[in-house]
Amino acid sequence: MNPERPWQIGVDIGGTFTDFVLLDSRDGRLFNGKVLTTPQAPERAVLVGIAQLLAQHDVAPEAVRHVIHGTTLVANALIERRGVPTGFLTTEGFRDVPEIGTELRHDTYDLFMRRPDPLVPRRLRLGVPERLRADGSVLTPLDEDAARAAIAALRDGGAQALAICLLHAFRNPVHEHRLAALARQVAPDLALCLSSDLVPEIGEYERGTTTICNAYVLPVFERYLARLGEGLRGAGLTGPLFLMLSDGGTVREDVAARHPIRLVQSGPAGGVQAARLIGQSAGAADILCFDMGGTTAKAALIEAGQPERSLDFEVSRVDRFRKGSGFPLKVPVIEMIEIGAGGGSIARVDRLGLIRVGPDSASSDPGPACYGLGGTLPTVTDADLLLGYLAPDRFLGGDMALDVAAAERAIAQHVGAPLGLSAIEAAWAVHETVNQSMAQAASVHALEKARRIEGYAMVPIGGAGPVHACAIARKLGLAKLVSPPGAGVASAFGFLAAPIAFAHLRAMVAPLATLDLDALRAMLAAMQVEGAAMVAEAGVPPAQVETRLLAAMRYAGQGYQVEAAIDAAAVQAGDRVALRAAFEAEYRRLYGRVEATLPVEVVGWRVIVAGPTPKLELATAPTGIGPAGKGHRRAWFGEGFVEAAVFDRAALRPGDAIDGPALVEERESTLVLPPGSTALCDAALNLVVTFT
Amino acid sequence: MTQPLSALRLGTAWARIAGLMDEAAEAFVRTSFSSVVRDNWDMAVGLMDGAGRQFAQSSRSVPSFVGTMPVTLAAMLRRIPTARLAEGDVLISNDGYLGTGHLNDITMVKPIFAGGRIIAWIGSTFHATDIGGAPGVEARDAWEEGLTIPVARILRGGEENEDVLAFLEANLRQPAEVIGDLRAQFAMYDQAAPRLLRILAEEGIDSVEQLSAEIFARSERAMRQAIAAVPDGEVFDAVTADGFEHPVTIRLRLAIAGDALTLDFTGTDPQIARPVNSPLNFSRAYSNYAVKCAFDPTTPNNDGCFRPITLVAPEGSIVNPRRPAPVWGRHLTGHYLPMLVLSALGQLIPDRVVAESGSPLWNVYFTGEQADGGRYVRMFFMNGGHGAAATHDGAACLSFPSNVATQPVEQFENAVPLLVTEKSLIPGSGGDGTMRGGLGQRLGFRVVGEKPVTATYRHERVQHPPRGLLGGLAGRGGRDLLNGTQVAAKARLVLAPGDTLVFETPGGGGFGPPEARSAAARDRDAAEGYRP
Repeated sequence: MNPERPWQIGVDIGGTFTDFVLLDSRDGRLFNGKVLTTPQAPERAVLVGIAQLLAQHDVAPEAVRHVIHGTTLVANALIERRGVPTGFLTTEGFRDVPEIGTELRHDTYDLFMRRPDPLVPRRLRLGVPERLRADGSVLTPLDEDAARAAIAALRDGGAQALAICLLHAFRNPVHEHRLAALARQVAPDLALCLSSDLVPEIGEYERGTTTICNAYVLPVFERYLARLGEGLRGAGLTGPLFLMLSDGGTVREDVAARHPIRLVQSGPAGGVQAARLIGQSAGAADILCFDMGGTTAKAALIEAGQPERSLDFEVSRVDRFRKGSGFPLKVPVIEMIEIGAGGGSIARVDRLGLIRVGPDSASSDPGPACYGLGGTLPTVTDADLLLGYLAPDRFLGGDMALDVAAAERAIAQHVGAPLGLSAIEAAWAVHETVNQSMAQAASVHALEKARRIEGYAMVPIGGAGPVHACAIARKLGLAKLVSPPGAGVASAFGFLAAPIAFAHLRAMVAPLATLDLDALRAMLAAMQVEGAAMVAEAGVPPAQVETRLLAAMRYAGQGYQVEAAIDAAAVQAGDRVALRAAFEAEYRRLYGRVEATLPVEVVGWRVIVAGPTPKLELATAPTGIGPAGKGHRRAWFGEGFVEAAVFDRAALRPGDAIDGPALVEERESTLVLPPGSTALCDAALNLVVTFT
Repeated sequence: MTQPLSALRLGTAWARIAGLMDEAAEAFVRTSFSSVVRDNWDMAVGLMDGAGRQFAQSSRSVPSFVGTMPVTLAAMLRRIPTARLAEGDVLISNDGYLGTGHLNDITMVKPIFAGGRIIAWIGSTFHATDIGGAPGVEARDAWEEGLTIPVARILRGGEENEDVLAFLEANLRQPAEVIGDLRAQFAMYDQAAPRLLRILAEEGIDSVEQLSAEIFARSERAMRQAIAAVPDGEVFDAVTADGFEHPVTIRLRLAIAGDALTLDFTGTDPQIARPVNSPLNFSRAYSNYAVKCAFDPTTPNNDGCFRPITLVAPEGSIVNPRRPAPVWGRHLTGHYLPMLVLSALGQLIPDRVVAESGSPLWNVYFTGEQADGGRYVRMFFMNGGHGAAATHDGAACLSFPSNVATQPVEQFENAVPLLVTEKSLIPGSGGDGTMRGGLGQRLGFRVVGEKPVTATYRHERVQHPPRGLLGGLAGRGGRDLLNGTQVAAKARLVLAPGDTLVFETPGGGGFGPPEARSAAARDRDAAEGYRP
C-alpha cells in the first residue's frame, strides 16, 4: 500500500441512488455515502458525493489512490435508446441480418409477441461488395469505391458511430481493417467498432449485434468518462480511474472507453465481488450471492472464490424475464439469474387458482399498498409488513410510515378472498411463494451449472434480500448465511474488492487431434502479452500478474461448447490427452456422461490476465457485552403469531448472539431470523446465521 | 393418507416440474449433434403419469409435438406391454402413424420406477435430419420415405441394444449424428428421472396421480372458462394449398357451444399419393396449438388443456390419411391448420388472432459429397413474414406456426461447400392493410465446391399467398429460382458447380383495410425501404 495515498473510493451509479464507499487501506475502516442519481449528467452526483464524503471524513483528495467505478449507464443507454444514431456496414446482401435475427419466437404461444426494434434502422444499414470464404480466404476483394460511397451515405444519413461486421471476419479481419481505414479518411468523426476486434467469434447475428450495441453507446460513454475524469482531476483526485467490467474485472478508463459493451452488467458484478469478499471474511469460499431489490432478485454462484462466468448476455429484452426477447451479446459476464420477484412485485391469484408473484412490479410509483401513495394491489412488501417483519414506523429509518391497514385490505381482497384464506394466511402464502420461486430459480441455476450448493453460504444483499434470505437458504438446504452490514451499498464496496483484469477471446476452430500447437502457442503468447500490457499500464507489478487459460471445446458435430480451465503447461508440452481430459471432466460434470469414442474439437481460447485480488482488511470492532434489544414485535412464521425480539443492527458487537425468532433492523433493511435460526456477530460485524 | 394439495403446494410443485422439463430440454439441445435440434429446437420432452397422460412438457419446442407423446406411448405399449418392461428400459419408434406424422421424428419413452412399479414416464421426440431411404417429392407411399423403426427397446436394463443400433447405423447417411442425439437423450433421462422423484418427495406429494389430477382439472377449467367467455356461434372457412398437380382445399367448421369447442374438417379434400398428407396426430397438434394461442396461451401444456376441444377429421382426408399414404412433408398441410383456425376465429374474436403468415415452413435439404469424400445432409430453414394483428404490423421473417430458428450463415458455410449469396428482406412483400404483414426474405445458395449438390425442397404459398384478414390484403407469394429462372416449388434438383438457387419466402397477410393505414406508417415504410 502506498502510505501517501491510503484511501480508495468505490462508486456505483444506480437507477435511484449513487452509492459511495471510502476505504482506508491502512486499517480497513469503511465509510458509506449515498446521493440521488443525476440521470442527465451522472458525473455530477459522483463528483458531489465524493466531495461530500471526503469533507465529512476530513480526507484530502490527494490522499486518494484511485477511484473504482461501476455504472448502469451502458445498460440504460441501450434499454432507453439513448445512444447515438449508428450506421452498420456489412457484406453486400446481408444488411438485414440484424433485423431478421434468429427468426425464432421467444414465446411459442403468444401470437402478439414483439421483437425489439433494431437499434440501427434499415436506411442506416448498408452492404459493401466483398466476400470471404468460410476459411477466411478472400473470394471477392473489397470494392473500395463502393465502400467509400457507403460510408459517406451513412455519414450523410446522420450516423455518428459505425459498426462494421463482415461475414467470416472473425477468421480474417483484412476487409474490416481496410473499411476502418477508409472510414477514417471519409468520415473521421465517426466512432468505429469492428466485430473482429470486439468479438472474434463465429455467428454473424450475435457478433453483429454486439458490435452495433458497442458502437451505439461508445460516444455517449466516452463523453461521460471524459467529463468525469476532468471533474475528478479538477477536484484534486489525480489517481487513476478504474471501471468495473461485467465479468468482475476492473480496467483503466481508456480500455473501458473502447469496450463500453463490456460494462453492460457492471453494477451487479460489483455486488457479486462484494459477496465474495464478505463470504471470505467469514471463512466461506463457496457462496450464493442473493441480491433482492424492489423489482427483481438476482442470484450468482461463486465457487472457490471464483464467480461463475458466461460469454452470453442479453440486453433490451422486450419481455424482461424471457430469454430470447432482447439483443444477444457475446461479452464476458458474471453469470446471474434474474427473476421478477422483488419487494414491489405484485401478488395475485391466476386463472388456475394458483398464487403468482410478479414479474410486474408496483415499483416506487404507485408502490406497494402500504406506501399509501395510491397503490391498491398487494405486493411482497405488503405481505412482509403484515407478517410483522417490517416495522411500520421505522421503514427507511422512519422517513416513510407504512400503512398496515392498506396492506391488509390489498392482501385480503386480491389473494385471501379468492382462496378462502384469512389476510395473514394469504400474506404467508405470498411470502412463501416468492421465497419458493427464488429458491427454485437458484436451485435450477445451480443444477444447470452442475453445482451442489448445499455447502454454500448465502450472502444476501439489496434492500429486500435480508428479509427473505433465511427462509430461502433453508429451502435450499444451505447450512450458513452471512449477512453483512450495509447490504445496500454492497456493489460500490465490491468494486474495491475486484482485481485489475482483462479477458481476451480468440476463436480457433480445429480438431484437437490436428490442432496446430505452434500457431496456438504463438496466439496465446500474443494474447498474454496484450493482456499483461493492459494490466501493467494499470500499475500492477509484473511479478503479481497471473494468467488463467480456458479453452472452449466440444465433440465434433456438436454446436455448443464447454469451457474448461487448461493448465498452460499442457499446451506447452503439447499434451492433447490432458486437454481432452480437462474437457471431459467438465462435460461429465455438466451432462453426466462422456463420449469416449468421439473426436474432440477446440473452438476458442480465453486468456484472463489479472493482477492480485485486493486483500481488504476490514476493521474489527470491540467485543460487545450482549446485544441491546429494542423490545419485541409480533411476527408470523406459518403457525400463528410469535413474539420476536427486535435489535438495532448498529448496536451489535462481535460475539453477540441472537436466537430466532428475531428481527435485526438497519436503515434500509431488516434481517429476519425465523425460529430455529441463530445469528452470531463476527469480527467484521457480519451476522453469521446457522440453522437447527 | 392423501391430503388435498393446497394452492401453495400445487403451485410450487407444478412450477418445479415445468422447470425440470425445460432444463432437460436445454441439456439435450446443448449436447446435441444436429443443427436441427440445437438451432431449431425441433424436439420436445414430456412427462406422463402412470396412466400415460401427459402432465408436463418442455415449453420451448416446435408445436408439432403438442400432446402427441401420450398417443405414441399408448401405441408402444400395445406392442410391448408394461409387464414386459424393466427398470432401465427405453422404448423407441419413429412410425409416422404412431408418432408425430413422419419418419424423421424419433420418439423414445422411459418408464420411471419407484417401489418396483412404474409411476411415471419420461419421453422425448426429436427430428433426425436423415432417416435413410429416398424421401422426396415423388414418393407415392410411406415405404419410400425411409427407415421405419418399429416399437423396440433401444436400452434394456440401461444397456444399449446393439442390434437396434446396428440397424440404424446401416440405414442412415449420418448415423453418428442420430446416435449421438440418442445418447444425449439417454443422459437427459438419467438426470431428470431422479429429480422428478426428489421434487415429489420434497413437496410431500404422495403420488404422481395426485399431482397430475390437479393439473388436468385446473388446466381444463381454465380452458373451458376462456371458451365460455366467447358467445356461442358457428363459423366456416376454407384455405387452398398449392398442392401438386391440383390445389388442395382444407375446410373447417368451428363451433363454440358453452365451454366446448369443435373443429370439424369435414369436406376437406381426400389424401393424395404425394408426401403432403398430415396424419391425425400432427393435425391435432397444430389445431390444438391454435386454440391454445387464442384462448389460454400461458398454462403449461398438458392433457387437461385440450379436453374441451373436439376434433372431427374424416378418415382418408388429407388431414387424417390412411396408411400407406406418404407423409414426409406433412407440414405442407398441417401448418395450414392453425392459420385456418385463427382466420375462422377472426370472425368471432378478431382482436385475439393474426392474419396468415408466410408458411408452411420453407426449408431445403442439401446433400452431396465433401471435398474429402464424406457425405453430408444439411437443412436450411427460412421463415416468411408474420401475419399482421389488429394492433401492429407483422414481424419480418418470424417463424409461425412451427417456431423454427434459422442457423448462422457462417456456421452453414463452414459445414458444407455452398456459399450463401444473400439473406435480405423483400421490400413490398408484406400484405397491405391497416396493419401491414411482415416481409419475407430472399436467400441465395451458390455451389462453390467442385462436386454437384442435390437440393430437395417443397414449398407452398407460391400460387396461393398468405391471406389477409378483415379487409387486409394478401402477402406476396413465394418463388424458387434457379440461375434467375423460376422453377417448380416442389423439386429435387441436382446443382452443378456455379449454380445459384434462390428462395423468396412469402410475406405475411395484412390486417384491416389498407385505406385506414396511417400516413406515418406509410412514410416510415418508404423511408426504411420496406416498400419498393
